[in-house]
Order: sequence, then C-alpha cells, then structure tokens
Amino acid sequence: MSTRTESLLDGTDLSVEQARSIAVHAALYGAAALFVLPYLWMFATSIKPREQIYSSVPHLLPSGVTFQWYRQLLANSEIVGWTVNTVILAGSTTIAVLIVDAMIAYSLTRLEWPGRRVVFSVIVASFMVPGIINLVPVFMIVSELGLVNNLLGVVLPSVANPLGVFMLYQFFRDIPDELEEAARLDGFSRIRIFTHITLPLMRSALAALGLFIFIWTWNAFLWPLVILQDSAMYTLPIGLVTVQDTMGVTEPGIVMASAVIASVPLLLLFLVLQRHLVKAVEMQGSVG
Amino acid sequence: MARADHTVESDAAPVPGLSATRSTIREWLAGVGFALPYLLVAGAFLFGPLLLGLYMSFYDWNAVFPAQSEFIGLENYRTLINDPRFWNALFNTVYFVVLTVPTIVVCSLLLALGVNREVKGRWLLRTIFFSPYVLTVAVIGLLWEDLFNANGLIPYHFGTEGWLTSPELAMPAVAIATVWWTLAFNFVILLAARQNVPDRLYEAAKLDGASSWRMMIDVTVPQMKNPLIFVIITTFVGSFQVFGQPFIMTQGGPSFSTTTVVMYLYNTAFSTGDFGYAAAVGYVLFMILIVVSATNFYVLGGDDS
Repeated sequence: MSTRTESLLDGTDLSVEQARSIAVHAALYGAAALFVLPYLWMFATSIKPREQIYSSVPHLLPSGVTFQWYRQLLANSEIVGWTVNTVILAGSTTIAVLIVDAMIAYSLTRLEWPGRRVVFSVIVASFMVPGIINLVPVFMIVSELGLVNNLLGVVLPSVANPLGVFMLYQFFRDIPDELEEAARLDGFSRIRIFTHITLPLMRSALAALGLFIFIWTWNAFLWPLVILQDSAMYTLPIGLVTVQDTMGVTEPGIVMASAVIASVPLLLLFLVLQRHLVKAVEMQGSVG
Repeated sequence: MARADHTVESDAAPVPGLSATRSTIREWLAGVGFALPYLLVAGAFLFGPLLLGLYMSFYDWNAVFPAQSEFIGLENYRTLINDPRFWNALFNTVYFVVLTVPTIVVCSLLLALGVNREVKGRWLLRTIFFSPYVLTVAVIGLLWEDLFNANGLIPYHFGTEGWLTSPELAMPAVAIATVWWTLAFNFVILLAARQNVPDRLYEAAKLDGASSWRMMIDVTVPQMKNPLIFVIITTFVGSFQVFGQPFIMTQGGPSFSTTTVVMYLYNTAFSTGDFGYAAAVGYVLFMILIVVSATNFYVLGGDDS
C-alpha cells in the first residue's frame, strides 16, 4: 500500500513500472482466456441442445442443458469397457515401470558390479531413441508372442522406460546411504534393504514418476492403436476416435461428451496432484 | 543363514582376500540381479527391435510368413529416395516443424517469464497453461477438429469455410492445435529454469543501469541456455514425429497435404503391409532426427556436460 501512495506522489518511475505490470497482466490473462476457450467449447457442446449445435452461428455458451449426448454415448458405445481397459492398462504399466526402474536404479547407484557404468551410459543414450523407429519391429515381436489384441502387448513394450531410470537414478544418488549401511551391518539382505529402507525414502520421487507414467499411458495413442484391434479391447483414446464410425452418425454432442469422459479424470487428478507432475516434468528438464 | 555367514566371515578374517572375493561376488550377483528385469525387457522391446528394424529394412518382408522374406539389400532405401509420396510426407513434416517449433519455444518462454513476475493469480495461470499436458491426443484432435469445422467456432470468426478441408489452412490448423497442447511441457521446464536464475544477477545488472531488454539478453537467456537447448531439441524431435493430430483431424488430407512421415510409415506398415519398406522409412527418420539434434546442439553451442 505504502509504495503505491508514494508512486502517486513522486516520480514517473513507478508508474512506468505499473503500466508495465498492467500490460503483463493483460497479456497473461488474455493468453489464459485463449487457453480456456477450447475447454469451454468441449464442455458446452457436450450439454448443448441439438438445434444449438447445428445452428449457423456458433454458441460458446449453452442456452439450455441436456444430457442426451451422454445418455446416447453410454447406451450405444462401449465406453464403459474402454474406461475399464484404460484404467487396467495405465495402472499395470505404472506398477511395472516403478518396480523395474526402481530396481535397476538401485543397482546402478548402490551396488558395485562390472559394467554398470556402461549399462548406465547405454540407458541414457537410449533416452534419445524415438520410439517410432521401433514401431514395425516391436509389432513383429509382439505378434510373434501372440500378444496382438491383448493389453499385455501394450504394457510390455512400455516397461523399459529410460526416462524413469534416469529420474530415479538421480534421486537414489542424492539420498545418503548411511541408513542402508547400518542395515547392512545388522545383517539385512539386499532385498530387505531395498523394500524396507530405500523405497520408503523414495516415496516422493516414486509418486512423481508414477503419476507421470500413469497419465502418459492413459493417453497413449499410437501403440494401442496398432496393437488393440478389437473394439472391445480399445482404450479410451482409441475408442473416442472410432465413436463416430461405430455409431454411424456424426454427432458433435456425442463426440464432445466422449472427450469430456476421457479428460475429466485426468484433469481432476492434475488439479489435486499438480505439484508431483510439475516435479516429474522438471526432472526431465534436468536430463538436458 | 545370516548367522552362518557371519561365522564364515569371521573365520576367514585372517585371510582378507578370500572374504573380500566372496562378498564382492555376492555384490556383483545382487547388482546384476536387480538390473536384470529392466535389461531383459529393454533387450526384447528396445535394443533388440532396433537391430531387427535395421535387418527388416534390407528385406522384402513377408508379414504373414517372415521366414519367406526375400533379402533385397538397399532396394528399400533406393525406392524411398525415388518415392514422391515419401518426399511429400517429409516436406509436410518440415512445414509442420517450421510452423510449430519457433511458435512453441517463443510462446512458452514468454509465458514462463510472465508467470515468473509478481502477477496476481499466479497459481491459476500456471494451472491453466500446464493443464493441456494431461489431455490425450485423441481429445486434442476431436476437439480442435470440431473448432475448425465448417460450422465450428474458428471459421465463423476467421476465414471462410472449414480450415481442415482447405489445402492451405489444414496444416496451420493442425499446428495451432499442437501449440495449444504441447506448450505446457516447455512452459513448466522454462519456468523452473527461470526460477533457478539467482536474483543477485538482476540486481547487479540493475545497478549497472541495464534496461529490461538488456537484462533479458545478457542475463536471462545465457543463464537459461541449457534448458532452452533441451526444450528446442525435444520440440524439434517431437514435431518431426507428429502423428495423432493429423491422423485424427484430417486423415492426412486434403489431397495428402497433411500426411506426415510417421503417418506415411504407419500407412505403409499397417494399411499396405509393406513392413520392410516401413522399417526403412523409420530408419531414415531416425537418421534425420540425429542430424537435426546434433545440428541444433552444435549451432546453439551446448556445453559438453
């Protein structure tokens, strides 16, 4: 308050500062409005009455509320099954990645064995390999294993996650190992030290990585599209894209209702756990 | 068990070499054991396929009976060089990269610098700019398809007919949807990077009478160099692999104006069934990405850390 009165009394310096602050606020909130607009469109269209959807003038706000699009979607599509598949896929992939990545990160930071430095360099290098190159050969391998059209065929290729290893590696390295040392002197086995001491210490890093992997897998598109070929096996992202084809009509209301169903769980998760997700993204930034 | 081990060790204590070897070997075994699950999965689904893909690219691959595939040497690569559809896809991809990469990098930097200032409702702004990150590309594609449609919101205000049916406007529409979606990741990384720049550098610059523009050029950008390079390279690599947005919004049309390299690869493999050729397309894309990343790194003067 006092600075504001001062600036009114003397000097143009602070009012230049104020003008700049107003400009910054205007620019940021203008950008924020542009960011919010598509969400508004998605939610509004999913509850708009038919005549408003097909009117020649687009309406950003619904004139009335109807749930007919959601009812039609639930009645005529397999969206419930897709949601179940998506939860199973994202959940099992997250658990598998956390276990496998935490184990190797522990091994690379805490245990001495020949070749571990080479292994770590190779993992860091593989971080640079874009997954798309492996699309065709991995499909061949998965189909040889008889896992086409099987959720396991989507999970397995995503388990070896170099990014996760790298993130956990940095965290393991930063935890002092006195506790483990003490446990070792007490005759604890490696596995007990890992499960009872190291992992509990790593809770926040595991939560951040887990949330990141869960969202990533929930949203995965290209790989499930290739592997899951039967509509009963689809995940939400694949099912969504086929809603129009399978229901035989183009109904923007139904399509937007399906988009809402696929996004709302993650948007809620995001609002509650944003801090962890920010951390996971920042950790990726530190790879560079 | 544990007790027995202790007695063995204390017995062996006078001969240090022996117990050291035993515990060393046990440590090695534990180390390899903990690493093994990852190494097995990575071998089967990451490193193995990298070699298999190269191998397949030298074959006229038979998808139904792989054993009957015919070795054709570099024929797939020769076909690719003379394949106008591949060049069209590459051209479209480069066009998409040109539209998206500078826009995404500059906008995310500006938003990060803005949100870093003392603004009201900082948490809200950060949440809004970060939120598209949690959406699936299917939602992005369907939502923006509806927005760009003939009777959608955007053509009503800008342009005339639907953007997605116009050969000139379809790719910009896909690019706009992509910017909205992928800004978030870079925004969060750059915001963190900006917050790591020590305040005293700005105080010192202010004492020297530096304008805010000079502070941006002399302090902010050099201090954020490594995160900026990371963001630029990952955005390049990501944009070169664009698939879902055009696949959903335009199916590569109109008249193949939005067919990208990865879409072409996907169609070659899963519509045409030409796996060997698709593997070759994948490897050529890999080489392009390596060259682009290395060039970026070299031009931007990344340090060797």
